[in-house]
Amino acid sequence: MSTRFKEAFQEFWRLNVSKIGVVFLTVLVILSIYVVVSYPLDFGVRYWNNPLYWADYPKSAPPSWVNYFSNEKIPEHYTFSSIKPSNTLLTESGIRLIYLFKLDFQADKTPTFLSLTVKNVTYYDKPVIIRLNVTRPDGKNIELYRYTVPAPYVDESPPYKRFYDQSKRISLTGDLSVASILARFLSREYNVTIKPSEVNSIGQHKIIFSIPKGDTQFTVLKGDYTFYIIVDTYDSRDSVGEVKLVVGGDVYGFMGTDSLGRDLSVGLLFGFPIALFIGIVTSTITTLLGAGLGIMGGYIGGKLDEVIQRTADFVNNIPLLPLLIFLAFILGQNLWIIVFLLVVFGWPTLTIIVRSMVLQLKSGQFIEAAIAIGAPRWWIMFRHIFPQVAPFIFAQLIFFTPTFILLEAALSFLGLGDPTMPTWGQILEYGFRSGGIYVGLWWWIIPPGLLIIWTAITFVLIALGMEPVVNPRLRRMK
Amino acid sequence: MSSELIRLENVKMYFESRIGLFKTIPVKAVDGVNVRIFRGETLALVGESGCGKTTLGRVSLRLLKPVSGRIIFDGVDITDKEEKELKWFRKRAQAVFQDPYSSINPFMTVKEILEEPLILHHVGDSEERLEMIAKALTDVKLTPIEEFMRKYPHMLSGGQRQRVGIARALILKPEYIVADEPVSMIDASSRAEILYLLKELQEKYKISFLYITHDIATAKHFSDKIAVMYLGKIVEQAEAYELVRNPLHPYTKGLIEAVPEPDPSNRLKERKVILGEPPSPINPPSGCRFHPRCPYRFEPCDKNEPELKEARINHYVACYLY
Amino acid sequence: MLMILLELNQLKLYYTTIRGVVRAVDNVDLNVEAGEAVGLVGESGCGKTSMANAIIKMLPNNVALYEGRIILDGLNIVDLPEDEVRRKVRWRQISIVFQGAMNVLNPVIKVGHQVAEPLIIHGEMDRDEAYKIAREKMKLVGLHEEVFNRYPHELSGGMKQRVVIAMALVMNPKIVILDEPTSALDVSIQAQIMNLLKKLKRELNISMIFITHDIALASDISDKIAVMYAGQIVEIGSAEQVLISPKHPYTQKLLKATPKLTGEEKPEFIPGTPPDLVNPPSGCRFHPRCPYVMDICREREPRRFEPEKGQKTMCWLYGGET
Repeated sequence: MSTRFKEAFQEFWRLNVSKIGVVFLTVLVILSIYVVVSYPLDFGVRYWNNPLYWADYPKSAPPSWVNYFSNEKIPEHYTFSSIKPSNTLLTESGIRLIYLFKLDFQADKTPTFLSLTVKNVTYYDKPVIIRLNVTRPDGKNIELYRYTVPAPYVDESPPYKRFYDQSKRISLTGDLSVASILARFLSREYNVTIKPSEVNSIGQHKIIFSIPKGDTQFTVLKGDYTFYIIVDTYDSRDSVGEVKLVVGGDVYGFMGTDSLGRDLSVGLLFGFPIALFIGIVTSTITTLLGAGLGIMGGYIGGKLDEVIQRTADFVNNIPLLPLLIFLAFILGQNLWIIVFLLVVFGWPTLTIIVRSMVLQLKSGQFIEAAIAIGAPRWWIMFRHIFPQVAPFIFAQLIFFTPTFILLEAALSFLGLGDPTMPTWGQILEYGFRSGGIYVGLWWWIIPPGLLIIWTAITFVLIALGMEPVVNPRLRRMK
Repeated sequence: MSSELIRLENVKMYFESRIGLFKTIPVKAVDGVNVRIFRGETLALVGESGCGKTTLGRVSLRLLKPVSGRIIFDGVDITDKEEKELKWFRKRAQAVFQDPYSSINPFMTVKEILEEPLILHHVGDSEERLEMIAKALTDVKLTPIEEFMRKYPHMLSGGQRQRVGIARALILKPEYIVADEPVSMIDASSRAEILYLLKELQEKYKISFLYITHDIATAKHFSDKIAVMYLGKIVEQAEAYELVRNPLHPYTKGLIEAVPEPDPSNRLKERKVILGEPPSPINPPSGCRFHPRCPYRFEPCDKNEPELKEARINHYVACYLY
Repeated sequence: MLMILLELNQLKLYYTTIRGVVRAVDNVDLNVEAGEAVGLVGESGCGKTSMANAIIKMLPNNVALYEGRIILDGLNIVDLPEDEVRRKVRWRQISIVFQGAMNVLNPVIKVGHQVAEPLIIHGEMDRDEAYKIAREKMKLVGLHEEVFNRYPHELSGGMKQRVVIAMALVMNPKIVILDEPTSALDVSIQAQIMNLLKKLKRELNISMIFITHDIALASDISDKIAVMYAGQIVEIGSAEQVLISPKHPYTQKLLKATPKLTGEEKPEFIPGTPPDLVNPPSGCRFHPRCPYVMDICREREPRRFEPEKGQKTMCWLYGGET
């Protein structure tokens, strides 16, 4: 058997399509293993479909490498965070913690938003006060924001813990107090009179990163900005877990973000193991079921065969997609249910082909010879019939894989995917549903489509390479 | 005298032949046949294609269940036994098939092919089995044994494959072997070799053979008795030499006359032949089934079917001429 | 008196396969005279079917070498372009009855039309005329008029064989090649077909090349017998010479391997298997199986010796003078 396997492999490896297919598959498998090892299992629920997690990401931002191709430099996305203050000062009332973030801003457009987040604040005496100041490249200093951590409740005893379960996110963009501070700043420094509500509609982040030109025009101010987050505490035991300042950009990462600000590269990467899982698991189960029923029906015959064949004909001839939509709707959108449905509707093709192969084999004299020496049915099916159809079944297994990947993508695209697990089809679907395609968010639509096609092609290439091994008519003359 | 091993009593085997979408009609492949084979004896079943000889062979192995009649093997009626109750019989009765290319599984080595019956019948442990395989290969003269055990069927010649087929039939030490055209696909120069091998093994192990063939000449040389079959019936049966020397039934005579021998004068004369071709077993002729082609037919032939009668000592024929 | 119709001279036909070059026909000389039947006898794989293909230049696409001379009417078929072979030689001068003739017939066309088809394809007569000739030929081979409008599945094996023979005769060829024309038929039908061939040979005075593995069957029609072994004609002579006093040890053994119905003589066999045509043995190709092998046989290929007038053989036993 091993020499046969070796020969078959040599035959397979002879073709270039096989080599390309195997290289592609290796890449797919490596990426999938990486994801399985490094991602949490509840990635979908905890991160992907949790809008809070993506609040500090730019929305609908193209990949950052588009800057190489455009004349106007789009601002990058900056996230500063620290768990330790850069400086501590002793004041008369307590200890002052100073967090310092420096940013060399060189883009041709202002950032898209500004936000401050604090986490795990503990105090014992008076509520801690948090302030945010900025020093601009022109030397002007603005105290942007001032926030007092909520006071103790009635009956609460120290230590008072704040923002442990959920961190405190303060969006400076859209904050009216910031707007009035900025309005005052403008009239003081530039003699520009503008109402706070107008500041709010222009965008606080925009005013901070620019100089006014006339009453309504602003030009971007490039250079070094320094942000100070100043925390005044009143007890030596008071502490702050983490502070984070986000200067929202308009490009993000390697693959960009979607309209919820989700990092597409993370979602697309997660799609690899899911696609492989659906493709391989579904096609393995389908092939085993289909081949098993085909062998049993073909060999045992009679009523069993009749039942299997009629069922296969029936399942094979009902329109698949509408029914799948209907059933996915009724049974719920769960990955296992989707796999189950794909199996239920996938087996008949193989059963019909395998049965006809078995009928031909069954009339072979070696089957009669096996009966004559007293071999029971299951023995004949396993030892004599299965090995003869095995290469074909194996090739079908590979050939079925892209079919199921595409079917799952189609189901997801129709909004019937498992919402707890992002797949390429779902990313694509959301891109369509939220209008991404109409406003030209190509980085959202094209990559999942290409990945689906690429994965399908990988398996098609391998299946093509196996064709001469399985189909003796294509073998070289021997 | 030797004792009887297997007896078929008035065996009938009909197949359903589909003629329309729903309509089937019976094809009378074997239609009332009595056969007895004694221990250590070879009975040749001679006939042309479609006469039912292969079907009869398969019925005698209970690979087919006859529609009526009885199969008695060593005194036990196995006609209606379930496959589970036939395990002992499967061990004692074996088959050698016509086509050495399709009767052995191409995915198994010679060792695996020969070990399969032993495993199925739980014979010996793996060491004992290896010994038995070696012995069977020596018996069929496939040496060196070690080398042949590792081979796959496609590495063997037709003759060698047929020896593997024989070794497989032999390995369970059966008492009865059905050999269905075992040499028809083997080269003329090697046929006799396989037949001598079967003969030698028969004498060594006292096996009873049912030798099914279309070739009356090899039947004469390699069997004790010959039964001639025509359209599902045995028309004549006798000791091999007696039957060939003194054929009684007009069909047997025609069959013998049709066999050419290497003689340069053959080409100068026309051969006396049986006219026409055998009719379909779906609708056999009334009376004697051979009567439409028989040159001697007379009054009773198309009315009643003649019985198999002892026309000479131990020479049975079903014909109104006797 | 004797006129040489077809002359094969140093004919070679080699094929390329994965395993190497197969020397299927290797230096064959053969003359076919007018009105003569030549029996070409050999076991499977000896190159006899390749020789039939070489004569009518119907070659597979893996031919490695095709050379020598096939002289017919002063033309060398080997050098003739395919188009001319089709127009001048194939079917018009030399026709062929293929092995497994039953499969040659198209199941959905009436047999009469199939017989007439070569005439229509060659395009020198209209359909009515062609049908008229086809009817004549079908009558000649003993088919009833009504068979003309039947489909192949409605005919028995023997009738189909007659149809195929009628097809071969429809353009009045000088030579008909018959490649195992009866191997799929029962002996009684085989005898009928042989009688028909004898009648055709006598009445039409056509030449035949009768290819068979069965030397006894060859004796039924052949005036001259050529025995082929491993791609070569090892012995050729008149039927009397070859059958009564065979010279080559292979011919002698082949005759003894044929089981006889008359007499007590038991058939013999030739030990070993026919050689691989990719790698034939050195010297005489039969030497590994020959009982009379001498040193020279292993080293040098025998020339054609003529121990009796008209009987040539490739065997060193008759090369005493060298």
